[in-house]
Amino acid sequence: MRKVLGGLFRVMPLLFGLGFIGPLIAQILTLAGWTLPGDVAPLAVGMVIGGVWGGIATLTGRWL
Amino acid sequence: MIAVPDAATLGAMDAKALNRLEKDVADQFMGGVPWGSVAWGLCNLAVWLSLWPLTLMGILPLWAAFPIATLNVMLCYLPSHEAQHRIIAREGEPLFWLNELVGYVSTIPLVLPYQVARLTHYEHHTHCNDPVLDPDAGTKAAGPWQSIANSIAYRQPGSKGQAAYGECLARLGTPEAQKAGVQALVSQLGYLAVLFGMAWTGHALEAALLWWLPRHIGVTYIQFFLSWAPHHPGTGNGRYRDTRAFRSAVGNIGSMGMQFHIVHHLYPRIPLMRTPAAYWALRPILEARGCDLERL
Repeated sequence: MRKVLGGLFRVMPLLFGLGFIGPLIAQILTLAGWTLPGDVAPLAVGMVIGGVWGGIATLTGRWL
Repeated sequence: MIAVPDAATLGAMDAKALNRLEKDVADQFMGGVPWGSVAWGLCNLAVWLSLWPLTLMGILPLWAAFPIATLNVMLCYLPSHEAQHRIIAREGEPLFWLNELVGYVSTIPLVLPYQVARLTHYEHHTHCNDPVLDPDAGTKAAGPWQSIANSIAYRQPGSKGQAAYGECLARLGTPEAQKAGVQALVSQLGYLAVLFGMAWTGHALEAALLWWLPRHIGVTYIQFFLSWAPHHPGTGNGRYRDTRAFRSAVGNIGSMGMQFHIVHHLYPRIPLMRTPAAYWALRPILEARGCDLERL
């Protein structure tokens, strides 16, 4: 249990990026009415930004 | 009210008499239930909880709810702090349940479990400003802007500050501390589950502006005024040196009573709302002891 939770919290920034930052960016893009080139879905943009940002935060230990 | 003699008389008193006088003066401000803090803690939580249905049902716009939620997070720690010191009621007293209720529920917006706050806060009092044993020592900074930068750095996933409370509980190693560690884990997972759940049901912005961002702003505020400012420069040790009185640019209410934090460290059972009066009554004695009272 301890190992599972330890592993979960180690990758939490990545999960946070995908689980929260991604949908948040998507919702902001939709509300702002921004249309993206090639009709890319706002959620796809959010997941890429959230995933990359969260991945970097997982590796470096810093969001900022 | 006990009359405190002038500086010359205080200076001539022996240590035992000065201690006696200080305690007698402080005792006048203890006792009774701080109903203001009880109402503060419970009403603040009720307002914050009400923001969720009000915004989700479209009754209150999110731009209006966001500053209220931020204020709620900033306000939520101190009622729990009264409970941590058993100021509302002690164990065995009829209203102890109320003490625990305020302690447990008021810090929900902050995602800080009561027992974690209580145990680590006692360690802060016992080892104030100790770079290793004081779990709040990480908030030490050279100036106000560095304090804010430190607070942000403190919350980065790989920072030492992030682990300070967990390490403190591990160091204590008691069954109570282990239980608090589990509570911390459950509350953190619960918080993330709510954020993720809201986000994936189309309410990410609501979760961000009612909890996630207010919590970050609130933690920065709390670490600045409740941790950094009253202990600055964070180098003093001992009863009369590890904290100070200071004049805040945002006044006593804006700094949530922390101008008089020295009184809290000397007499933790004096309720927050009585610390200004207790400070003015004790001031000549604190001055005689050489405490850092800045311009207050």
